[in-house]
Amino acid sequence: MWLTIYYIFSYIVFGYTMLILLSYLFLVVQSYRAQRHLKIDMPDDSSIKYALQGSPLTPGVSIIAPAFNEEVTIIDNVHSLMQIDYPNYEIVIVNDASTDRTMELLIENFNLVEIPYDVAMKVPSKPIKRVLKSTDERYSKLVVVDKEHGGRKSDGSNAGINVCSHKYFVCTDVDCIVEPMALYRMMWLVVTSPVPMIGVSATMLMSNGCTVEDGRVAEAAVSLRPIPLFQQLEYMRSFLIGKLGWSTINALPNISGGFGLFDTDVVVKSGGYDQTSMAEDVDMLLRMVTYMKNSGQDFRVAQVPKVCCWTEGPSDLKPLYRQRTRWARGLFEIVSHHRKLFFNPHYGPIGAYTLPYIFMFEFIAPVIEANGFLFMVWLFFAGGISWDTAWIIFLMIYTFAIFMAVCVLYFDYSAQAVNWHGTKRNYLRLALGALVEPFVYHPIITYCSVIGYSQFLFNTGSVWKPIARRGVKKKQQTEKPAENGKTTN
Amino acid sequence: MDSIFWLTYYYELFSTYISYYWLYFIQLFADYPFVVQVSAFFTTAMFMAIFVVSMALLLKAHFRKKKEQIWHHLNERFAEGISYCLSAESSPKMTRQEVIKKLGIEEDLAQHKVLLKSTKEKRLFAKLLRDLRFTYTNVKGRHENLAHILEIFSIPSFLENEVSTAGMHYKVHAMNAIRVFKLPISLWVINKLINSKWITVRRLAMYSSVSNSSDSDMDYFESEFFDKTCCVYDEIELAYALQRRRSRGLRLPNLARWAYMQKNPATQCVFVRLMRRFNQDENCDQLRNLFQESKHKKLIEEISRTWGYLHYVDGEQLLVDTFLMQPDDTKVAILHAVTRMATGKQLDLMSDGFHNTVNPHVRFEALRCMYNYGEEGRALFHKTEAEATESEKKYFAFFHNPITLEKIRLDKEQAYHPSIETVYNLSY
Repeated sequence: MWLTIYYIFSYIVFGYTMLILLSYLFLVVQSYRAQRHLKIDMPDDSSIKYALQGSPLTPGVSIIAPAFNEEVTIIDNVHSLMQIDYPNYEIVIVNDASTDRTMELLIENFNLVEIPYDVAMKVPSKPIKRVLKSTDERYSKLVVVDKEHGGRKSDGSNAGINVCSHKYFVCTDVDCIVEPMALYRMMWLVVTSPVPMIGVSATMLMSNGCTVEDGRVAEAAVSLRPIPLFQQLEYMRSFLIGKLGWSTINALPNISGGFGLFDTDVVVKSGGYDQTSMAEDVDMLLRMVTYMKNSGQDFRVAQVPKVCCWTEGPSDLKPLYRQRTRWARGLFEIVSHHRKLFFNPHYGPIGAYTLPYIFMFEFIAPVIEANGFLFMVWLFFAGGISWDTAWIIFLMIYTFAIFMAVCVLYFDYSAQAVNWHGTKRNYLRLALGALVEPFVYHPIITYCSVIGYSQFLFNTGSVWKPIARRGVKKKQQTEKPAENGKTTN
Repeated sequence: MDSIFWLTYYYELFSTYISYYWLYFIQLFADYPFVVQVSAFFTTAMFMAIFVVSMALLLKAHFRKKKEQIWHHLNERFAEGISYCLSAESSPKMTRQEVIKKLGIEEDLAQHKVLLKSTKEKRLFAKLLRDLRFTYTNVKGRHENLAHILEIFSIPSFLENEVSTAGMHYKVHAMNAIRVFKLPISLWVINKLINSKWITVRRLAMYSSVSNSSDSDMDYFESEFFDKTCCVYDEIELAYALQRRRSRGLRLPNLARWAYMQKNPATQCVFVRLMRRFNQDENCDQLRNLFQESKHKKLIEEISRTWGYLHYVDGEQLLVDTFLMQPDDTKVAILHAVTRMATGKQLDLMSDGFHNTVNPHVRFEALRCMYNYGEEGRALFHKTEAEATESEKKYFAFFHNPITLEKIRLDKEQAYHPSIETVYNLSY
């Protein structure tokens, strides 16, 4: 009797493992197809710029960046945002009642004055105290919103949505480093889409290890520290395989809160960001999808394969633990709040494929993995492990992990997603990281997920704390200017 | 015959090897449980896949390195000279000989040497030229110098050859380069590409066709050609293409008819907007049927704006009659249109717009239009202001504050009608 149960259980777990591997394989194939299509349909940056920069029909974009107690970096970050190359955009900085000198510094440095303003509260946010614009022509794109303290990024983002004046908006963090061509890359997908594009996800990588000069990443490099290195691999896998793969069947489930572009009207009609949600970015996209489907409108959500934004991630275990347990709580919340979308073909490929995938292979997987680990420990002491079977299954999973890493490097190189400073050196670091990642990093993430689920179930640990930033390297010495007329390939 | 024999031979040999190792593999794990068999198969497949992807990566790196070497060489040799020819440093117009001298290729030409040997070199040279053209895009009067460079290096014939024979990726690059260099392209090549399965290629062919082809060739588009894939970018490029067509003295197509032939309302909107941009006021009456038959609010809004912009006075009564039945955005468009027509007969419409509608945006726009509707309109505006209730006073406060207006997006009129002269007469 027990033996039969044991065999059935083993086969179920094995079947589950095979399904995960096959679904990843499917994403790799889809991502490859997407890359091939984009090679033809998405021209290089200079061509995109040439096509869009002179036209009045190029849609405008508002960049919304909520800020809370950012006095150390706010001025540099606003200057960095102003270096974005796009013909028609505005920057909306939302000061969430900072208790430090953030607001004073903004006023002093950008010559801001209060303007008479009547804000239509299209999406819920804490009251706006005042709106400021610069008297200096150079900063005409800048709008600063001073509001009452909401305590969440989502509240600040909603205030920004209420104030922004363009058809599309990008939501980002003030400490993100945005690539100058990012908006062109994202808007290219918007303007060439025959159906309304409600959101565009941008590839975002870790700035840990990079060198920054004048608010731009001057030398893109992979960090030597293990935690950021593993996360870099994880981000690349997520954006270049996962999201790009899903976007080919219009089933992208998430646009990162760090840098994502949305259709303002659709966001407003969907209710904006949920101020109570732990995963407000996923939550909002799912509500947008629900709105579009329920109102019978066709839409697309796409992914840009080239890196558009750099963000500093946790570089130690403690902040990583905090971030990942929060993500796990967010995932649990999404699964419980949006359960009617799961396995529901009415909501298109997202309801029929992506959300079931998330439920089965991202939500349940950590629980099964943790149980499997405990089961193995028990079998080890009980002498019940069949080593012949165990090693080949282990080898299968390990080779698959390596295969995924190699594919990521290939896609990155092929699409020239990142202009690495010393490609060989960085790829070597990533490859070495990929060899040890399954043994070191993956168990940590699984542990964090399980803890996050338990925190959600027992309603503990829900206080949000910002990640402690170490800061990125700044270039001391400016390089020699390029010779006249020389271009780079 | 021989080749078929050898092909069959090698195919069979290959099949035999594969079958042999497959059977060997199966019998190797024959006594193991199913789980082990599957895992072993999968692991082997993964090892092979890792090998293949790694090799592909290395090969790609190798070819990219070669490409970079050629690029570097071209950059070193020509970039400075081309920059000089395209930039403001040079005289407005150089002769062919001057260009040759500046590029330092007199000896090569005298000895009849081939300047660009391989296809790869030609592709990269075209890219270099295109990139430098982007750099100096705002400098006027250098097109002649560019034309000399293109002719000296035989780039036009190379690009046309690429467009008709190369792989899809290179085809798209070549078509983009042709557009950037403003080169003519044979109609047979366009016709060949216009039905391509790749949307990008179809689009590029379409833009070239609209820019260059004769009136009769334009009949091709009097179909549902645009319907499936029309997007904002099409509108941008069609506007540029029509502008180029106009500057060459070619007749513009009947855009009202094109709009009528489409089935997708979004596509119809594109052509109605283009009509407005190119002042096709002679075709306004052809939009009457579309206005009366369509249920698509955006299309009705666009037609209203177009009639207003083109001063199609015959349509005024139709707009006024349907005003109260329309959604808010269309109401605003009708108010704008009637104000632009300025016949002086529709003061009641402005009053209705302010007093008999609920949406604040419509009410505000009604006030704005009232103010701009001649002397009588302004008098009515002041009278309405004097009689305004407390809640109505905020509309007048907005009216007197231009910064607020700008920020609450109420200058739609401006946004919808940028000056055609300033926008489309750029040196594109």
